Amino acid sequence: MASRTNRRTARKTRRTGGSTAARRRRLPLRHLLPLLLLLALAAMLMLRGYVHSEILADHRIRPETTADHVPEKILEGGPVIDTRGPKATTLDVPDHRIVLTFDDGPDPTWTPKVLDVLRKHHAHGVFFITGTMASRHPDLVRRMAAEGHEIGLHTFNHPDLSLQTRKRIDWELSQNQMALAGAVGIRSSLFRPPYSSTASALDDHTWPVTRYVGSRGYITVLTTDDSEDWRKPGVQEIVHNSTPKNGKGAIVLMHDSGGDRHQTVQALDRLLPELKQRGYRFQNLTEALDAPSAHTEVTGPDLWKGKAWVFLVGASDTITDVLVVGLAVIGFLVLARFGLMLLLSGIHVRRTRRKGFTWGPDAPVTEPVSVLVPAYNEAKCIENTVRSLMRSEHPIEVLVIDDGSADGTARIVEDLDLPNVRVVRQLNAGKPAALNRGIANARHDLIVMMDGDTVFEPATVRELVQPFADPRVGAVAGNAKVGNKDTLIGAWQHIEYVMGFNLDRRLYDVLRCMPTIPGAVGAFRRSALDRVGGMSDDTLAEDTDITMAIHRDGWRVVYAEKARAWTEAPESVQQLWSQRYRWSYGTMQAIWKHRRALVERGPSGRFGRVGLPLVALFMIVAPLLAPLFDVFLFYGLVFGPTGKTIAAWFGVLGIQAACAAYAFVLDRERLTPLISLPLQQLLYRQLMYVVLLQSWITALTGGRLRWQKLRRKGQVAAPPGETPASRQAGKQAVDQGAAR
Amino acid sequence: MSTTPTLPADTQDEPAPAVPERKPPARDRYFDLLRAVALFRVVFYHLMGWAWLPVVFPSMGVMFALAGNLMARSLKRPALQVVRGRLRRLLPPLWLLGAIGVTGMLLQGWGPGSDGHPGWWWLHLTFWILPLSEPSAPETMPGVHGFLGEDWAAQLAVPLWYVRAYLWYVLLSPLLRKALRALPWPTILAPIALTGALSWGWISMPSERIDSAVLDFATFGACWLLGMAHHEGVLKRLPRYVVPSVAPAVAAVGLWYALHHGFRTGHDLDDIPFGQALWSFATVLLLLHLSPTWTEWPRRLRRWDRLITLLNSRAVTIYLWHNVCIVVAAMLWDRLWGFPVLETHFSWLLESSWPVLVVVWILVAGCVVCFGWAEDLAARRRPRLWPDGSKRQSGRAGTHRA
Repeated sequence: MASRTNRRTARKTRRTGGSTAARRRRLPLRHLLPLLLLLALAAMLMLRGYVHSEILADHRIRPETTADHVPEKILEGGPVIDTRGPKATTLDVPDHRIVLTFDDGPDPTWTPKVLDVLRKHHAHGVFFITGTMASRHPDLVRRMAAEGHEIGLHTFNHPDLSLQTRKRIDWELSQNQMALAGAVGIRSSLFRPPYSSTASALDDHTWPVTRYVGSRGYITVLTTDDSEDWRKPGVQEIVHNSTPKNGKGAIVLMHDSGGDRHQTVQALDRLLPELKQRGYRFQNLTEALDAPSAHTEVTGPDLWKGKAWVFLVGASDTITDVLVVGLAVIGFLVLARFGLMLLLSGIHVRRTRRKGFTWGPDAPVTEPVSVLVPAYNEAKCIENTVRSLMRSEHPIEVLVIDDGSADGTARIVEDLDLPNVRVVRQLNAGKPAALNRGIANARHDLIVMMDGDTVFEPATVRELVQPFADPRVGAVAGNAKVGNKDTLIGAWQHIEYVMGFNLDRRLYDVLRCMPTIPGAVGAFRRSALDRVGGMSDDTLAEDTDITMAIHRDGWRVVYAEKARAWTEAPESVQQLWSQRYRWSYGTMQAIWKHRRALVERGPSGRFGRVGLPLVALFMIVAPLLAPLFDVFLFYGLVFGPTGKTIAAWFGVLGIQAACAAYAFVLDRERLTPLISLPLQQLLYRQLMYVVLLQSWITALTGGRLRWQKLRRKGQVAAPPGETPASRQAGKQAVDQGAAR
Repeated sequence: MSTTPTLPADTQDEPAPAVPERKPPARDRYFDLLRAVALFRVVFYHLMGWAWLPVVFPSMGVMFALAGNLMARSLKRPALQVVRGRLRRLLPPLWLLGAIGVTGMLLQGWGPGSDGHPGWWWLHLTFWILPLSEPSAPETMPGVHGFLGEDWAAQLAVPLWYVRAYLWYVLLSPLLRKALRALPWPTILAPIALTGALSWGWISMPSERIDSAVLDFATFGACWLLGMAHHEGVLKRLPRYVVPSVAPAVAAVGLWYALHHGFRTGHDLDDIPFGQALWSFATVLLLLHLSPTWTEWPRRLRRWDRLITLLNSRAVTIYLWHNVCIVVAAMLWDRLWGFPVLETHFSWLLESSWPVLVVVWILVAGCVVCFGWAEDLAARRRPRLWPDGSKRQSGRAGTHRA
C-alpha cells in the first residue's frame, strides 16, 4: 500500500552501513529460506500434478497393425502369457473358474463399492492398479490385499507401452512397484498392459512389449471376456458380456476407476450369485491356476523407498489442498477488500465533497502553522522544497531541521535568506529526533511535517489543516503524489500511490483506523503529540508508530484529499527495495509495539480490535498469501488448463483495473499510466511480496531480540526536544536492521 | 520469404568531405551491433531453419527499422536527391549478382521460352535491373554436379524480396515522412492493419506478384516507420513507461496469433505475416526504446569491433550471396559421405549442420573479397578488400564510415 514517501533513513542506512561481516553472514539465509520454500512448494505441486496425470501424461494410442511376427500359438493360446523364459507359453483358466479383473484403480468412490460386493459374495479377483492411483489411495490397495484379492501392475500413469522406449517401460514398472510396496509392502509379478484385450488381439507392436516385460520377470495377464463396462452399456449387457460360454474358464475385464462405475457394481451384484449357482467359482488368478501367490514381500530399502513415496504423494495432496484453500482465502480477501474500498471510499467522497461541507465548528481554520522539514543530505531538493512553501496561501513559519548533513543542506537554506524560515542544526540523530527538536522549536500549535524532497502546492498547508476545525481531530494525512512518474517504476508507484491514497486512506478514514500519516505530508495538533510523547525511534516506521499512538489516545485521524504533496519516488529497484523493506518491517514493529491495544478499553481498544487486525490482515498477512496467485498462474499456464488460467488472470486484472481507474478518476488523474498495470501485476507485485517475506524472515530470525531491546528504550520515551546523542546507538542498531 | 540484411545504403553516408572541418556525426555503435546480429541471424537461420530463431531475434524488422532510421536522417536533404542516392548505393551490388547469376542461368538453358509468353520473361528480367517486383529465376536448373544443386538459381533469388521491399520503402519514404509528421501513430500502425486486412482476405490483390509485394511492404512497414519515428523524436514524446508496458502485450498477441496459426518448423513467423508484423513491431519498439546511443563500444563488445565493422560495411554483399554459399557449402559437405571411413565412424559429424556453418562463413568471406568492391563502387569509394576498419586502411575508412 503506498502510504508514505521515501524517508531519509534509506540513505542513512547506506552511510551507517555497519557491521558488514554480520550482514554477509546473514545474507544467505534471507535468500535461502524463501528460495527453499518456493522450491519445496514447486516440487510438491509438480508431484501432485504428476500423480494426477497432469504432467508427463501420454494419452496417445497406437492403431492396430498386422500380427505377422506374433507366434500362432500365442494368438490362439490362453490369456495368461509367460515369456520369462526363452520359450513363450500360455495358460488357460480351468473350466468353471472365473477370474474377475479390475483395471485402472484404485478409485476412492468405486473401488470400495466393488470390494464390498466381492466381499458380500465371498469372491476374489485381481486388481490391476496404476501407480498414480495407488500412490494417492494406498489404503484401498491395502484393503484389496487384506481381503484376499491379488494385485497386478497396470503401469504408473497408463501410457500405451508400444509407443514408449524400454527405459520408459522399465520406469513405468518400477514406479508402479514402488507405489505398491509403499502401500502394502509387497511386489507383484502380474502385469497387464494398458489398452490391451485378448491374446488374439496382440500385434507386431504389442508383442515385443509383452516379450520385453516377460524378460523383466512379469507374467502378462490378458482377458478372455471384455465386460465393456467402460461404455456403460447397461447392467444387463455387462452381465451378458461377462458370462463365459459353455462353462468355460474366463478372465473377465472390468474397471473400478475412470468414471461412473455404478453399472459395474450392480452387474457384479447380479453376476456373482447367478454364476455361482451355475457352479462357477470366483478366484484370484493364482488360486484359479493352482499356482503359488504372485505376491512377494518387500523388505529393506525398497520398502522404505515405497513408504517415503506414498508419504510424499499424500503430503503433496494435502499441501495442494491447503494451497487451494489459501488461494480461495486470498482471492476472497482481495475481492472483499476491493469491494469494501469502493464502497467506503464512495461514502467518504460523498461525505467530504458535499456542498457546504465543513470539518467542524471551528471552520475555517486560519491560525498560523509551523512546518517542519527534517533534512538529511537534501542539498539537491531542499531549495525547491522551501521555495514551494514560500508560495503557501496559509500563514506559516518554516523550520528546517538539519540532521547533521554533510552536503551543506543547512547552508543552502540559510543562504536563501527567506523570511519565516529558520534552520535548526543537530548532530546526526535520526529523523524522529529531528522532528522532536522541530516540535520543541515550533511556535505554533498546528504542526505540519514534510520531507526534504517533497514539494507542496500553495494550497497544501491550508487544506491540510482544515480538518482541525473538528476539535476531536488529532492528526491529518495529506495526499502524497509521485512527481517522477515518467519511468516504468515511477508509473507503477504512481498507480500504487493513487490507489493507496484514494481508496485505502478513505477506507481507513471511514473505519477510523488510519494506520499511517505519510512522512511527506501530514499535520498534527501539538496537544496530541505532547500527550503521546512525541516521535519515537522504537520502530523503523516512526510515522506509523505515532499515528497508532494518537489513535490509541482517542484522537481522530482523517484524510485531506486536497492537500497534495509531490514527492520523488525511488528510481532504482534497489532503492525501492530498501524503502519498502523499512515500511513493511516498520509496520510490523509498530503493530507489535501497539499490540496491547487489542485488549485495552476505550478508544485504544476500539483501534486495537478494529484497526490493528485490519492493518495486519491487509498489510502483512494478505501479501504473504499473494505469491499463491503466481504459483497457480504459473502451474496453470504450464500444465493446464491454460485457457481458464489466463481468463482468471485477466478477470482479476480487470477488477484491479476498474478499482485503479476509479481511484484515478477520484484524484482527477490522467488514466494513461494505467497501461502499465498488466506488467505491474507481473513484476512489481512480486517484488513487493518478496520484500514483505524478507521482513517476516527478519522478524522471525534476528528481529525479535532487537525489538525487545528497543521496547525497553521505548519505555523511556524521550520528551520532545531531548538531545538525542545518547540515542544514536539505538538508531544505528535499527538502521542496521534495515540493511540486513 | 527470407530475411534481411542491411544495405550499404544503410550505412551512414553523411557527406563528411563536403564539410571537412566539421566532425562527422559519430556512428551509433548500438545500431551497428543490431545490424551485425541481424545479419548473422539471417545466415544462421537460412542454414538451420529453426522456427524459433526469428522469434528470438526478428532480424528483418530490425534491419528495416535501422534502414528507416537512416532514411529519415538523410531526408533533411532534398527528397529526390536522397532517393537517387539510396538507389545508386543499393543497385550496383544487385547488378553484379544479376550479371553473374543470370549469365549462369542463361548458360544452363533459361530463356524467353521458359516463362510462358516471352514478353513476360523479358519484363521479369528487367526486375534484375530495377527490382520494382521480385527478380525472377527458374525453379530448377541442371546445376553443377557435386558443387551446385539444381535449385541454385531459385536459392539465389530467395533473398531478393528484401531488395524489392527496400526499394519501395525508399521510394515512398518522403511521403511516409509527411504522413508521420501529420499523424504519427496512425501512420505507424496503418501497415499492421493492412497486414491484418490482407491476411484475413478483407482485401485482395489482382496478382500474386503484387500481393506478395504489398504484403511484405505492410508486414515490415511498421518497423520502417518506427525507425523513421525514432529519428523524428516520436518515441521520445511518449512517457517512458509506455513502451515497456505496451510492447510486451503486442508481442504476446503476436505470439499467440502465431501459435494459433500453425507455428512450427517449416511454418514460422515468415509464413504468418500478421504474427510477424506484431512480433517484429514489438521487438523493434523495445530495442529502439532502449537505444542507448553508443558512440564508443562498451568495454565488453570492444573485441568484436572489427568483425561488426566488417559485417556492417559488407552487409549487402553478405546478404545477397549467402544463400548461394549455403547451397554450395551443403553440397561440398555432402561429398564427404563419399569417404567410407568418415561414413562409418563420423556419420554424426556429416549429419551435423554446425560444420556447414563454418564452411558457409568461409565461402561468405570469399564472396566479400570477390564481390564486395561493388559496394564501394556504389558509394563512390576506393574499392577495398577487407573493410573491417582496422588501422591499416583507416586513412579513407575513417571518412567513409563517418
